[in-house]
Amino acid sequence: MSYIIVICILGLLGIGFYCLLITRNLLKLVVALQVLVKGAMLAILFAGCLVDNMEVAQSMALTIIVADTIVAVIGLAMAIQVRQITNTSNIRSISTLRK
Amino acid sequence: MQNNLILWLLFTPMISSVVVYVVGRFLAPNDTEKPNKTVWLCVAGIAATFVPFILSSINILNGKSVTTTIGDITLVFDGISMLVSLTVLILGLAVILFSVDYMAAEHSEEKFYGLLMILITSIIGLSTSTDLFNIYIWFELMAVSTYSLVAFYRNRATSLEAGIKYLTQSAAGSIFIILGIAMIFGTTGKISMQDIPALIASSKRIMIAAGACFITGYGIKCAFVPMHFWLPDAHSQAPSGVSAMLSGIVIETGLIALLRSLSALNPAAASFGIIFLLIGALNMLIGNLGALRQSEVKRMFAFSSISHMGYIALGIGFFLTFQESTASADGVFFHIFNHAMMKGLAFLAAGAIVFNLKQAKGDHSPLMVKDLDGISQKYPWYALLLSIAVLALGGLPPLAGFISKWQIFAGGALSKNPWAMFLIVFAGINSVLSLGYYAPLVNRMYRHQPSQTVLAGISKCSATMLASLILLGIFVVLLGLFPMLISNYTGSASSALLNMFR
Amino acid sequence: MTAILIALIILFPWFGAVIIWLMKDEQEKLTHILAMSFSAFSAVLSLVLLTRIGQDQISAYSLGIGMGDLAFSADALGIILTCIANCIGCLAVVFSKDYMNGEKDLQRYYSMILLFIGAMSGLVLTSNAMLIFFFWEITALCSYQLISFYNDDPKAVRGGLKALFITQFGGIGLLLGSLLIFSQTGSLDIQHFIAAAQAGEISSAALAVAGFGLIAAAAAKSSQFPFFTWLPDAMEAPTPVSALIHAATMVNAGVYLLCRFAPAFQGVAGWNTTVLWVGIITILLSSVMAIFANDLKRVLAYSTVSQLGFLFAAIGAGSVTASQFHLLSHAIFKALLFLCAGAVIHSVGTRDMRLMGNLYKKMKPVAICFIIGACSLAGIPIFNGFWSKELILEAIHSGAPLSVYILMLFAVILTAIYSIRCVWMVFFGKEKSELHVHEPGRFMKYSLYVLAAGTVVSWLTFGGFSNAFSKSLPHHEIEAESLGKFLSTIIKDPLTYLAIFMVILGIVLWIFHKPGPSKAVLPKVLETCAVNSFGFEIINEKIIDKIQNLSEFSRELQSGILNWNIFGVLTGLVLILIVLGIGG
Repeated sequence: MSYIIVICILGLLGIGFYCLLITRNLLKLVVALQVLVKGAMLAILFAGCLVDNMEVAQSMALTIIVADTIVAVIGLAMAIQVRQITNTSNIRSISTLRK
Repeated sequence: MQNNLILWLLFTPMISSVVVYVVGRFLAPNDTEKPNKTVWLCVAGIAATFVPFILSSINILNGKSVTTTIGDITLVFDGISMLVSLTVLILGLAVILFSVDYMAAEHSEEKFYGLLMILITSIIGLSTSTDLFNIYIWFELMAVSTYSLVAFYRNRATSLEAGIKYLTQSAAGSIFIILGIAMIFGTTGKISMQDIPALIASSKRIMIAAGACFITGYGIKCAFVPMHFWLPDAHSQAPSGVSAMLSGIVIETGLIALLRSLSALNPAAASFGIIFLLIGALNMLIGNLGALRQSEVKRMFAFSSISHMGYIALGIGFFLTFQESTASADGVFFHIFNHAMMKGLAFLAAGAIVFNLKQAKGDHSPLMVKDLDGISQKYPWYALLLSIAVLALGGLPPLAGFISKWQIFAGGALSKNPWAMFLIVFAGINSVLSLGYYAPLVNRMYRHQPSQTVLAGISKCSATMLASLILLGIFVVLLGLFPMLISNYTGSASSALLNMFR
Repeated sequence: MTAILIALIILFPWFGAVIIWLMKDEQEKLTHILAMSFSAFSAVLSLVLLTRIGQDQISAYSLGIGMGDLAFSADALGIILTCIANCIGCLAVVFSKDYMNGEKDLQRYYSMILLFIGAMSGLVLTSNAMLIFFFWEITALCSYQLISFYNDDPKAVRGGLKALFITQFGGIGLLLGSLLIFSQTGSLDIQHFIAAAQAGEISSAALAVAGFGLIAAAAAKSSQFPFFTWLPDAMEAPTPVSALIHAATMVNAGVYLLCRFAPAFQGVAGWNTTVLWVGIITILLSSVMAIFANDLKRVLAYSTVSQLGFLFAAIGAGSVTASQFHLLSHAIFKALLFLCAGAVIHSVGTRDMRLMGNLYKKMKPVAICFIIGACSLAGIPIFNGFWSKELILEAIHSGAPLSVYILMLFAVILTAIYSIRCVWMVFFGKEKSELHVHEPGRFMKYSLYVLAAGTVVSWLTFGGFSNAFSKSLPHHEIEAESLGKFLSTIIKDPLTYLAIFMVILGIVLWIFHKPGPSKAVLPKVLETCAVNSFGFEIINEKIIDKIQNLSEFSRELQSGILNWNIFGVLTGLVLILIVLGIGG
């Protein structure tokens, strides 16, 4: 049972990071971050399961949900603002700062 | 009252943030010339926060401890909290005074001041927490408040670009932190930093894995080298007051959070020390090389922040790796305070100059190095203060930067280890290299022939901007001549660090 | 009382610097007067301090963890250098009243000079290794600011930055030395360190590294081989600055450092030999460069480098007294030469000696002072340069191999050649171009007369000098010698007359050489090498190029593409895991 959970955690983290490494769409970036957060939350709950202290684990998980929802909201707001200014969601089009 | 001091210390800025925002919405001025009156409420908020801070400091310096427990969460105000709070309050005051005129033309100033107050709250809160998850929460709050501050000019594509890159990388970092907490929690069942070291001492692999996750996660915020790419963009695109806060205290707070979290893993402290030494060396080199050929002033200062984090990491590395190097801890905390003052002064002075030269006329292009030609002819005070900041950052006496660097090196030398000596020589060479981009700025500023941009700038210097610059400048000059003025604070912080790790 | 004097000598000029910074361009006369008063008062204080030479150690509060105490020692080595710095500083400031008349930004000029004078006094008086480094860096800051005083002139800015980088780079040697002192003895007190080193309590590896680090720092500050390329370019500074900083005081800081620490490093293998050979190589290279230089101040700069080489050689041969006595003479006559050169340049409007000539009749007082200085430089009897140079030659003869002595005699010939060449090209010979000469101001003349008088009589102080050194520097083990004994030793020694013969040989060689381009190969090769600083300038440029390229390369890392940044984060995680895994 615990192996399946570990595989799920690693799978979610893997998908999230793969997406962050490959995608150029701003909205997909935010989605990738959310996938990562779910993976991390699963890790916390799994850890709570291992030490049999589900209350602390659950309170941590709830707090993480709140924190990362705020991050997602701000990220989406920025993405929409970019869309309004440049009419595209491609991150390469606004990547002018280099060196 | 004793027990409630920390609560007052945390609630005062939090409540003033809400008050400032609400009042600001009502008082928003119609024109873009006058600042929003709510900024003075902000200043009052900071002044009010000073009261519980001073009371707590007196307690700490007399040896009494200041703690508060709410349910399962314990908050302890120790030497490190005292130093970090002192820094953030002074720098915050300077930034708010500066922004009175700088942000006067913006439409949503009240959000700016509200977010700034939340930032200050979160930094003070982070420095007082004693368990891993609480640190993470304050850290997230700090990060979230900075995302909007960095992307504050929401109509400019470059500003949004910097904000998005910063947000993505910082959020990715938070993932690692949560993974680290999960690993430790899964092994020991505890998240309080005092309880963990005893329980985790046997699981070497978990300590290494969790430590690596923490260093990577918090390291993104501290601008450690392979994870620093967000910093030049974010610090150069943000409004000048926010750049000063970011470079001055936010990245250092990331380091404090990292240190607190690593103290839970303190049986492996020596191996972490070696990582800090390597990261320190790499940061110094990449920061200085990156800044050398910049033609934008704020981007140059941003790279310079990367190199100064290298000095701080080097000091931490000396402290963790070698038993005798306790002087490095004093040097590290002194450098955290100094860097906040010097880098804050540099960014604010550059901001004052760009305000007079460009921003007040509606030109939002960045300040270039060649615009600084002959500034001393028209704005002598700005030129003097920027020169002081820049020469202090280069480590020249009699300014403050020299003393803190010396203390870090002295601690490293006490170890009598040849590798430590080699790193000190490397750091010395980097200091000389940094003068390669600082010194020409001073030369340009004192030319007799001003550049076209200088001639076209407005002459009236804002009184509040000058006041904030002088406030920071006084610290830079005074601490260079009389370093013993702050030795109580740095000594208290370094003994707190000693308690954490030994 | 001594403590108050020392505190005033360091702080009073600094206070003056702050006051003068607040002056405005319109208050020029007041600025000059304030500067002259502050520097004159400090000069008087330093002369009073001469009476307090002894073995006093003054220690005030602790500066902080790892920084030692605010500690000073009132011994001859420090106090004599303080006098030199303050008195010549005062004369340079007086000279500046006429030289910098009507210039803008005088507040910055005088502030930096006063800051420098205070820092120089602090550097030589302190007995805390960290404070030596502290004052060392302040002098580097002031020197850089004063060289690049004319910020609009790119050559001046480049000269200032070059001086800053080279001396700071050498300063890393001093940083390393001070930190090793701290780590090996637990405190930063210099006297404690010298005693411990002489007693053999310090690990030989640490002592060797510290010793050679200090040689590097001293060589960089005193513009010796291989760091000698900055001083000639520093001549873009206003001439009073060149006289004060780059002839009489700051460049002596390196010599001071070696003199101060010499007893501790006598046990380090090769230390004395290295100092000796650094000196000799510098003397020969810079004398050759002086013979071929055409800019008046550049000739004097190369001459300074070469005379500092003499000082280094004397230390290497084991005689601190000889080195310091010649330092005193050199400070006076070199300042005299520079200020005379300044008067000439100010009157005539050019620095190129090929455009000067036959100025003797038009500028008699300045010419006579310059000739006095040049005679002292060449080593003609009765001037102070002769006596102190003889002392050095005597020390080298007894403390170094014979081959070194022969090279030194050859150097004496070269010194005589470039001195007479300089005097001839400027003041005698045919007039090369139409030059309008105006009379130098009276403040200029006052400083010149005082220095000329000093050049003629300063050697009479030898008895008191030697006595002071022997009494107040117990670690150095110096024997006191009276003036009479000193004079009779030199007059009776046949080698003295050998040296005088070399001087005359040099003068004769110059007078009878054929003017115009030479047909022989050797002078042509030497000339090309000399003009290119024997290849060191090329090394400097290559280093700068490499650093710029490295910087461009590292900037490519900042790609601006988010995906690569995330990849960087993941790479960081992997690398940290690997390092922790290997380490743990």
